[in-house]
Amino acid sequence: MEIAAKVGEVIEASTSEFVAQCYQLHEPPPLGSLVKTKNAPGETYGIVYHAETHSLEPGRRPIARGEEVKEEEEIFRNNPQLAKLLCTDFRALVVGYGEGNRFFHYLPPRPARIHSFVYLCSMDEARNFARSLNFLSLLIEANLAVPVDEIVAASLRHFSQAYDDQQAFLVKAGKELALLLSGELKRLNSILRRLK
Amino acid sequence: MSLDLAQIAIQIDSMAAKLQASEEERKQKLDFALNTLRSQSANLASLKRKIETGKTTWLVAGIEDKLDAHYPAPPSPEDFIVLATDGSHIDVDRHRSARCFVINIGIVRLNYGQTPSAFLSSLPMLHFKEEDVVLSSTTGSQQETIEGSLLGVKRSVEECHLLAELAKEVEANLPTVALLDGSLVLWGLAGQVYPAFVADALLENGLLKHLEELRQLSKGRQLALASYISFPRSTEVVNVLRLALCPYEPVDCDRYCASKTKERDCDNVAGLLDRELFEQLLTEGECSALFSSHSSIVKEHYREHQIYFFYVKTAGELVRVEVPQWVAEGRRLLDITHTIILDQCRRGQGYPVALSEAHEKAVITAADRDQFWQLVERSLARQDRMVKSSAKAKSKRMRWI
Repeated sequence: MEIAAKVGEVIEASTSEFVAQCYQLHEPPPLGSLVKTKNAPGETYGIVYHAETHSLEPGRRPIARGEEVKEEEEIFRNNPQLAKLLCTDFRALVVGYGEGNRFFHYLPPRPARIHSFVYLCSMDEARNFARSLNFLSLLIEANLAVPVDEIVAASLRHFSQAYDDQQAFLVKAGKELALLLSGELKRLNSILRRLK
Repeated sequence: MSLDLAQIAIQIDSMAAKLQASEEERKQKLDFALNTLRSQSANLASLKRKIETGKTTWLVAGIEDKLDAHYPAPPSPEDFIVLATDGSHIDVDRHRSARCFVINIGIVRLNYGQTPSAFLSSLPMLHFKEEDVVLSSTTGSQQETIEGSLLGVKRSVEECHLLAELAKEVEANLPTVALLDGSLVLWGLAGQVYPAFVADALLENGLLKHLEELRQLSKGRQLALASYISFPRSTEVVNVLRLALCPYEPVDCDRYCASKTKERDCDNVAGLLDRELFEQLLTEGECSALFSSHSSIVKEHYREHQIYFFYVKTAGELVRVEVPQWVAEGRRLLDITHTIILDQCRRGQGYPVALSEAHEKAVITAADRDQFWQLVERSLARQDRMVKSSAKAKSKRMRWI
């Protein structure tokens, strides 16, 4: 059984989403992946929809430093303070919560807690979570800063990796999407194209 | 009524024109000063004697080396450590309910070489106890409140204190330069403005104690302490030239030139700044000869921590670097100070990166200041104390009724 990897810590939380700061600069969980955070008595699940690397202090911007340097790693080696002045955050849309072995594909009663750890779910857990595709309706209706269709496609591509027969899963997902987007053919096709 | 810019603009134009005119005169003075410096360079012994015996109304540097000496930067070590501290403070506010002040020190350690790493932190300290906010003489009969410029001095002492603490924690096997911003000379205490017990508290039991800790730490390892002064306004070396040009020996300004109308030989270089001189004398990367500070406060109080200084031409500007005696005495420590300061300026776009990061960590914004006082008032109110503040302050910020 794979163990979920700790990837960050919640720094903002609301009913519908949470923001986490990564422990490793430049290493957020992949777009569309399933992450979770403890929210007693169970765990809240989210799908990563946005990641950003920026200066920790609002008034300070990175400047180009590599004009005379051959490799990018050298910039960080020559300026060791940089790693302490930058951070990578990611945002996850809440798509459900779990208690024990049961998953609920609707919004949890309470938001995540600040400073709770965020884990990238293992493939096993992702497969269990996606046994029902009800979470897609939460995802499709979401109001996100990035194009929602990109995230729908990214998450389905991510979940498909948990299955031996990826194609079968994607076909099943496609059918679910067709039901949810029955009046939006253009949108449906746009997502389906991104599933390849 | 706001500032009448139209009227001011005319005056600004007039100022610019006058400055332009005096540029030519200044250039001539500078050329003359450089020639004097070069010609006097060989007279080390006689100049030294003239400096020792002279009584001038301006501060003259002590000389250790030929005036026009200049040294290229030695090669930089592969692995080295830079330490820096910088501070800011929230001053006592007479109109508040509690007499207290905050000193916030930014602390930086940067490791370069095989295993680069960085440590950036800040340490805020709230001072409120009677013995922390007021200095008293041993008998207790005299007191001096720590605020305003005296608080600035206290802050400088704390910067050195934390730098020494930081130095204790780093590995002893790597060349290390510890940097401070500003002068090592506590000018705020000069001129007998404060009674002796103030100098005792802030120098004897303050700065000098920490300089001594650093000196002890530096035994058996390459640890240097230096303070970095950007855009220095000092004239101590120009004043050596003034002394050299003086026709009298021993030099005595009060005796020979008390009358303001008399034209003096030394006026030919007076008004120039050391940095203008060395900007011309040094090429990029070079440092000047070593000089010593003859300020009365150093001579009277600093003992074995006499302050020396030199000038360095970095890519960005001409800077003054001050070091204590135990750094000045060792060529190796001077070398690593010189080369690492240049290295830091290169990495920091013209200013030592360790110092600029320490400054960033130390900064207290206006919003921070407001929040701090709000916290104080809330905390005191929670303690059920009558929050007494001046009516003036209340009239400025009615936050609650």
